[in-house]
Amino acid sequence: MLRAGAIAAVGALALTGCSSGPAEDAGADAGPLLTIPREDMGTFSQNFNPFSPNAAPMTTQSIYESMLIYNPADGNTVPWLAESWEPSEDGLSVTFNLRKDVKWSDGEPLVAADVVTTFELQRELLGGFDYLETVEAVDESTALFTFNKKFSPALFELGQQVIVPAHIWSEFAEPGNEQNSVPVGTGPYTEVSNFQAQSFDLLPNPEYWQPDKQKIPGIRMLAFAGNDGANLAAINGDVDWAPQYMPDIQSTFVDKDPEHRHYWFPPTGAEINWQLNTTLDMFADADVRKALSMAIDREQIVDVGMSGYTIPADCTGLSGNYDEWRDEDVVADCGWTEHDAEAAAALLDDAGYTAGPDGQRTTPDGEPFAFDISVGSTSSDWLSVANIIAQNLQDIGVQATVDSPDWAAVVAGYETGEFQTGIVWSANAPTPYQYYRNIMSTESVKPVGEQTFDNYHRFGSEEADALLAEFAATTEEAEQQRLMSELQTLYSDLAPVVPLFPGPEWGAYTTERFVGWPTEENPYATLATRAPTTVLVLTSLEPVE
Amino acid sequence: MGFILRRLGFYLIAFWASITLNFMLPRLMPGDPVTRMLSRSQQRLDPQQIESLQRLLGVEGGPWWQEYFGYLGRVLTGDFGVSISRFPTPVSDVIAAQLPWTLLLGGVSLVIAVIIGNLLGILAAWRRGGILDSVTPPLLVFIGSFPYFWLAMGALYVFGVTLGWSPLRHAFSVGMTPSWDLAFIADVASHVLLPALSIVLVSIGGWMLGMRNTMITTNAEDYILMAEAKGLRPRRIMFNYAARNALLPSVTNIGMSLGFIVGGALLTEVVFAYPGVGYQLLAAVQGLDYPLMQGLFLTITAAVLLANLLVDLVYVRLDPRVRVS
Repeated sequence: MLRAGAIAAVGALALTGCSSGPAEDAGADAGPLLTIPREDMGTFSQNFNPFSPNAAPMTTQSIYESMLIYNPADGNTVPWLAESWEPSEDGLSVTFNLRKDVKWSDGEPLVAADVVTTFELQRELLGGFDYLETVEAVDESTALFTFNKKFSPALFELGQQVIVPAHIWSEFAEPGNEQNSVPVGTGPYTEVSNFQAQSFDLLPNPEYWQPDKQKIPGIRMLAFAGNDGANLAAINGDVDWAPQYMPDIQSTFVDKDPEHRHYWFPPTGAEINWQLNTTLDMFADADVRKALSMAIDREQIVDVGMSGYTIPADCTGLSGNYDEWRDEDVVADCGWTEHDAEAAAALLDDAGYTAGPDGQRTTPDGEPFAFDISVGSTSSDWLSVANIIAQNLQDIGVQATVDSPDWAAVVAGYETGEFQTGIVWSANAPTPYQYYRNIMSTESVKPVGEQTFDNYHRFGSEEADALLAEFAATTEEAEQQRLMSELQTLYSDLAPVVPLFPGPEWGAYTTERFVGWPTEENPYATLATRAPTTVLVLTSLEPVE
Repeated sequence: MGFILRRLGFYLIAFWASITLNFMLPRLMPGDPVTRMLSRSQQRLDPQQIESLQRLLGVEGGPWWQEYFGYLGRVLTGDFGVSISRFPTPVSDVIAAQLPWTLLLGGVSLVIAVIIGNLLGILAAWRRGGILDSVTPPLLVFIGSFPYFWLAMGALYVFGVTLGWSPLRHAFSVGMTPSWDLAFIADVASHVLLPALSIVLVSIGGWMLGMRNTMITTNAEDYILMAEAKGLRPRRIMFNYAARNALLPSVTNIGMSLGFIVGGALLTEVVFAYPGVGYQLLAAVQGLDYPLMQGLFLTITAAVLLANLLVDLVYVRLDPRVRVS
């Protein structure tokens, strides 16, 4: 939550400009290291186990690599450890052809057995991949995955799993509890150096398979117990890459050195929705949900609540991550994500939620039409979004109260279905399959009182089930595209949730010491430091001459 | 001797009560560690993985009494288990990595605050109604009542950012390796100074006022009059007669503060990005990391009890009346 939890206090520190010299040197002659802050870890533990949910930063970015990388900024797929892959005709298997020139950082070659071991460990330790029947090494550099059912999103899920060396990991007695403090990986910067609780360095992998792309001397991670310290470091010019939330970034950060400092927030994060608990009578009617959606002013939400860092949502509910799938006809056709208070009021009148003489609306049962909007108290940006929604609703006679306890309490309410409305993130994967499944498939609906970790709003449509199943079973691209269009039409008809805006992928940098960053014109990756695309940035940056 | 044995028995019971509370309280909080992790990661973890994660982290749970006795046994053998929020790092490693910095920061600020605060208190009470006595206490109390966060940020801004006198973050310069050579020690000292002084600034008022008030009472005692009548030098009377007797409540306070140092200084750690157990404790509570919480609480409890025991022992030495009763 720290990412979204904006604290304005740093603004006070940033009032005056203060450029400073480069970060302290690396002690090596190679020049400064690429310095990156990590704002939500007060201290680091030397844990480079990629199966651990809280491994040290950069473990799955610069030490271990995956077979392919999906880049949401441009919608393209980059072959990485695998040079190619072929799904079978029947859709029940996929073959990955590994590159033959890849070596682990201890000099051993990458082989298909490493892939097999990785998936064994992943399934044993963390579960998932239920559709996977077997993983086999056909030969040294070919891995064959077979499925027990057709599941087209599998390609990206399998391809983006980071691979670990079998010759190391098969030796570990308890791989789940292994701290792996001296990791052996295929990534560009694998050599851990000077590990301290407050910082550590990653130096170049001597055996890297793309030596021409290791242009920077190394990576240095700094630990911060909150956004303020990390923002101060960025504003002061002590770090090269700032992936954390920064309030009013233009004046606090960029204006200090407009020549070198830049930011880019592509709207490719998870879609942020206002979820209405559809088990409640007042939210069971799609027209009511659409009316509430039309009552809110998304321009204001994005400009004021989100500091203009993102864009308003449309009727497909898809974030910028899914631009290739977006059906422009659906977008053009629908009006329920446009701000139109009069139409919203008319729609509510038709649905029986009429206004009394005091202007306050009542439900058809005669109860006041009033509810809470739950948001965690630390997310100040989402809190202001919720307040704008409440104001907008007030204009059409609907009484919404913003309720902001601790996130843990809010989420506990979401999970058991004991909430009225709330602002919630959503799934973000290479295809919109998981997103739509979590939002409108009956499979993901649990009764109120039973814990669920997706579909908090508890909405399911059998039509959506059928389309999702068909999508999972087809590997042909045109057919997938058609099914996804139908899902978007269905979403637009049903309005299962009220989409607000795509989450922006935060990222700011300075070209004072390194150049070659991804930009809007050259979106070869996002500026995220915890995404699969991070390694693309690490292998593109070069020091300033 | 009987006194000390009685005290020891009392400490044993207090220790048992507090480790039991340490066990119970975290478990009364809603939720469990894995769903906390899930909600923090905002769906970056796959819901299907929850059961496997629970198994991996060993939080499936059993009957509470089974957990409780297991916990007691582990506490006695010094095994705190594996941290959940820092999985798979053992709790003892997490604490051991942070504790030295917390002790350094807390110790330095406590020593400075105690020495300066008590000296100011002694002098203020000795010259009652003087400038020191009329200006300093209200001023220090005024500063002490500022929100610490604000004060620390202001100090960091003025002395760190604008004047550049102090480093902006961390316990030592990035790139250095801890060692006992002079350059490193000097570096650590320059990093600890501003955070420590910010704590001193807000805590010194309490020390000064406490000392001043006790001193005033002591100054009215007959033996002070007697000492003056004997013609002893004022300085000797001030320190050896008045201050020495006024020191007892301060010693109790020092003991308490010593114990609580171990709890860390959360806000200082956040503002100055200083390593320490305070932020670790916050993270453990937020993530419902039972083993780490238990480990940290236990460390704090043990430190507070130990400090109190020390104070009791020092009292026996300082105050003959304790020995007699």
